[in-house]
Amino acid sequence: MWGGREVAMGVKGAVILVAVSVMLAGSSCGGPSAPRRESTVKVSLRDFRLTVTPARVPAGWVSMDLSNEGPDTHEMIIVRTAAGDGRLPLRLDGITADEDALAARKVDSADTVLPGTRRTLRVHLEPGRYEVFCNMAGHYRAGMHTELVVVVPS
Amino acid sequence: MTASRLGRPPITGGWRRGRQPFTGQGRRAVAFILAVFAVTSVAAVGLSALATVRAQHRAVVIEVAARQRTLAERYMNDVLLTRDGQRADPKGTARLLQLSGQALLDGGTAPGVDGDDDRTTVAAAQGATVRRQLQQALHLIEDLIATGEAFGRHQPTAGLKLTAGEHSLPADPETRLRVLATLTSNVSLNAARTIAANADRQLAMLVRLQVLLGALGLLGSLLLAWLLVAATRRQSAHFRSLVHASNDLVVILTEQAHCLYTSPSVTRMVGRDAPNLIGPGFRGQVHADDISKLLTLASSFDCDEPPPLRFRLRAGVGWRELEATVTDLRQDRHVQGIVLNGRDVTERVALEEQLHHQAFHDSLTGLANRALFRDRLDHALARAARGGHTVAVLIADLDEFKQVNDTLGHDLGDRLLATVADRLAIITRSGDTVARLGGDEFAIILEDTDEGLARAVAERIVTETAVPVRLASRELVVGASVGVAVADHPGTSGEDLIRHADVAMYAAKHGGRNRFEMFHPELARHAGELLGLQHEIHVGLQKGEFVMYYQPEVDLAGGAILGVEALMRWASPTRGLVGPLAFIPAAESTAAIVALGEFALFSACAQTAQWQDQGLLPDVFTTWVNVSAKQLTAGGIRRTVEAALTAAGLPPTRLGVELTETSLVADNAGFENACHELEELHQMGIRIAIDDFGTGFSSLSHLTRFPVDALKVDRSFVSGIEHHSKNAVIAANIITLAHALGLAAIAEGIETPEQLAELQNLHCDMAQGFLFARPTPAHEVTALLATPTPNPFGFPHLIGVP
Repeated sequence: MWGGREVAMGVKGAVILVAVSVMLAGSSCGGPSAPRRESTVKVSLRDFRLTVTPARVPAGWVSMDLSNEGPDTHEMIIVRTAAGDGRLPLRLDGITADEDALAARKVDSADTVLPGTRRTLRVHLEPGRYEVFCNMAGHYRAGMHTELVVVVPS
Repeated sequence: MTASRLGRPPITGGWRRGRQPFTGQGRRAVAFILAVFAVTSVAAVGLSALATVRAQHRAVVIEVAARQRTLAERYMNDVLLTRDGQRADPKGTARLLQLSGQALLDGGTAPGVDGDDDRTTVAAAQGATVRRQLQQALHLIEDLIATGEAFGRHQPTAGLKLTAGEHSLPADPETRLRVLATLTSNVSLNAARTIAANADRQLAMLVRLQVLLGALGLLGSLLLAWLLVAATRRQSAHFRSLVHASNDLVVILTEQAHCLYTSPSVTRMVGRDAPNLIGPGFRGQVHADDISKLLTLASSFDCDEPPPLRFRLRAGVGWRELEATVTDLRQDRHVQGIVLNGRDVTERVALEEQLHHQAFHDSLTGLANRALFRDRLDHALARAARGGHTVAVLIADLDEFKQVNDTLGHDLGDRLLATVADRLAIITRSGDTVARLGGDEFAIILEDTDEGLARAVAERIVTETAVPVRLASRELVVGASVGVAVADHPGTSGEDLIRHADVAMYAAKHGGRNRFEMFHPELARHAGELLGLQHEIHVGLQKGEFVMYYQPEVDLAGGAILGVEALMRWASPTRGLVGPLAFIPAAESTAAIVALGEFALFSACAQTAQWQDQGLLPDVFTTWVNVSAKQLTAGGIRRTVEAALTAAGLPPTRLGVELTETSLVADNAGFENACHELEELHQMGIRIAIDDFGTGFSSLSHLTRFPVDALKVDRSFVSGIEHHSKNAVIAANIITLAHALGLAAIAEGIETPEQLAELQNLHCDMAQGFLFARPTPAHEVTALLATPTPNPFGFPHLIGVP
C-alpha cells in the first residue's frame, strides 16, 4: 500500500520531504522509478461542509491542500470506498465513523487542523473512489464528507 | 564659589578622569546596570503574574468548556426523560447551557451546575478565531435547544432551521439530537482547546521571556558585582599606593600608645617590619623622653586644634625627628585610634639649630658672636645683681695680627685666630663666655669673679697668646693687649663694661702691647684725650695750623742737595709744634689723614715750584712727600697728585712719593687700584721710593712688581754702621740690592762723619740726617739752596733746628 507523508508548508522542507518520500516509496516497494505528474486537490473544511476541488483527479501523487475556514477545528481523513457508496461504518454511538474498521482502507489523515490554518498532504492514490471526511465528534454526521474520484491517467 | 577662591588648588580634568577611582562613568555604569536589573526584575515579576493569570484563565476556560459538555449531555438526557414522561428540566439545563456559552464568549459568571460545579467567573475570550468558535458553539446550542424542544414535543425536527451550518443531519430526531449535543460539546471543547493552545503559546513565550530576563538579571548582577569589586579594588589600590608611595608617616595608636597600623614609610625609616611595630613594639622605637607625649595624646583633644606633635623615632643607629598632626579617630569604626600623620623634619631641625648657632656664633672659631656675647653679658649682670657676685669683661686684641693677615694671607690669619680661640677656651672656665667680637678682637665674660681672678685670667691670656704658633712651617708670634673691666658696683650696664674694657685694652696697646690693663677712671680720661686730639686735628686743618718742614737730601758723591723730604708739623696753639708721630696715629683713625695727605702734596708742590721759579734747583731735584697707606688705598692719589702739580705748575719729575712697605702689601683693600695709580704716576715721571726699607713685612718680590725708583735705608740700620755691626751688614746689603735692581739708595738718619764715610764707602747714593740738616721750615731750605757749597761735606752743621 502506498503511504503518504504529511508535509509542512515550507518550500524547502517540502522538497526535502519529497525526496525522502520518493526514496522510502522506492525502497518499500521496489516500484516505479520514473516520476509521475502530480495533481493538486483543494480541500475546503468548514462548519460543517467538506469540499474537494476538483472532485476527479488522475491516479498518482496527489497534493491535497487543506484549508480550514472555521469556525471550528477540523481534521481530514481519506479512505478508499469499496462499493462506491459514500456511507462509512459508524461506531456504536452512531455518530462518528469507525476508524478501526476503516484502518485497512485509510490512505492518510491530517489531525487537528485549527481554524484559519492550511496544510498540505501528499498522497499516492490508485484509481478508484475515495471518501474524504472529518471525523471530529459529530462533524461527519453533520455533513462533513465528500467523494474524490481517482481515475486512470490518460 | 570656585575651588581656587576657597584657597584650594583647582582639580584638573586629568585628575578627575584619570585618577579618581570611582566616579563619573563608573557610577553611571552601575546606575544603568541597577536600572536594567530593576526593570528586568519588575518585568519578570509582572510576567510571572501574567503567566499565573493566563494559566488560571486557561484552567477556568477548560473547566467551563468541560461543563458545557456535561450540560449538553444532561440537556439531551433531560429531553429524552421528558419525552418519556419522566421528570426533568431541559429548559433549565438549556438556560445554563446558554449562560455558560455566553460567559465563555463575552466573559462573566458561568452558572454552577448542581452536583457538579460551582459558579465560575471567566474573562471574555480574546482573539477573532476563538470568538468565532465560541459563537459557533452558541449557534449549536441554539440548534440543540430548538431540536430538543421540537423533539420533546414530538414534533418533526427535520424542518427546523439550523444556524450552525449543519446539513444532511440524520433524519432520526434522537440521533439528530445526539449529533447536535455532540457537536455542541465538541465545538466548546475545541474552543477551549484553542484558548488553551493560545494560552500555552503565551505561557511558553512568557516563560522564555522570564528565562531571558532572568539571564539578563543574572548577567547584570554579575556585571554589577564585578564592577563594584573592581571599583573597590581600584579604590583601595589607589589609596594603598598613595599611602605606600607617600613619604608621610602614618601611624595609628591606641590611647596606650599601642600601634594599630604603620605605613610602609615608617617601616622603611625604622628599618623593621610592620609586625614588629604593631602593638607595643612601636613604643620601643620612640625616644624615651618622648613616650610621655604619646601617652598623653588623648588629653590633647581637649583643645580645638591639637598642636603638632614632635617626637623622635629610632632609625638604625640614629634618631629621626618627626613632626605629626594628630587626629582623633577613636570614634571612627573604621579606624578606632589616634592617627599621627607625620613628616621627617630631622634635616629641618638640624638646619634650624645650625642657623640658630650661626646667628649667635662666630663661624671661624665657633665662639659666641657679639650678639650672643651681649645677651650673655646682660644675663650675667642680671644674675650678678641678684646674687651679689661680680662680673668681669676682658677684651683681648691681638697685636700685629693685621700684619700676619696682610703678609701671610687670610687663610693663615684665620687659622691663627682659631688657635687663639682654642687657647682662650682652655684658659677660661666652662661657665665663662668666650666670644669673638670681630677681626682679631676677643671678649670674655667671667662670672662670679673678683678683680684678682680677672687679673689672673688676663695675665694668662697675655702669656698664652705670646706662645709662638706654628702654622704652615712658620713660627708666628702674636701678642695680645688685654683690657679688663670689673663690674664692681651694681647698676653697671653691659655697654659700660664693654666700653671700659675697650678703653683698658687700648691703654694696654698704647702702653707697649702684649700686656693687660685694668680699667680705672683715669684711663677713661686718656680715651677722652684721644677724642679731643682728633677733634683738634680737624679744627687745626681748617685753621691752617699744619705746616710743611723739609729735610735736605745730599748727593753723597758730589755733596749737592738733590732733594728734600717734606715732613709735616702741627703748630698747635695749645700743644706747640708737634711732630707727626704725635698726631698721625690719631689722624689715621679718622678721615683727617686724607686731608692731611692732600695738604702735604699741595704745599710741597707749591714750595718746590717756588724754588724752581727762583732758579734755586739743580737739574735733578726731587721733593719727596710721604703718602700713607690709608691715603693710597682710599683711591684718588693720582688725581690729587695731578691737581697738586697743576696747581703749582710743577713738572712731575720734581716730585717723588715715599711709601711704607706695609702700604704695598697685597690684600689690602684697594690694593689693585693703588698699584694701577702708582704705575700711572710713575709713567708721568713721578719718582717712587720705599720708606724705612727692611723694617716691615715687605717681600722682596714687591720690588719687581712696583715701579720703584729708590729705597730708603732706615735710620736703625744707619746708626752704628761705622762700627760694622749687624746693622751695617743689612745697610750694605740694602744698598747693594738697590743698585742691583737699578734703584737709588737713600740713607736716613745720618748723624756722624763716620757714618757718612762708611756710606760713601758703600756707594750709597744719597743721605739725609742731622749731619747735614734737620727738617726745617721752607725759608731756611731756600737759604740753604741759595748758598753755594764749595765743600759740601764741610757743612757741619748748617742748620740747626733741633
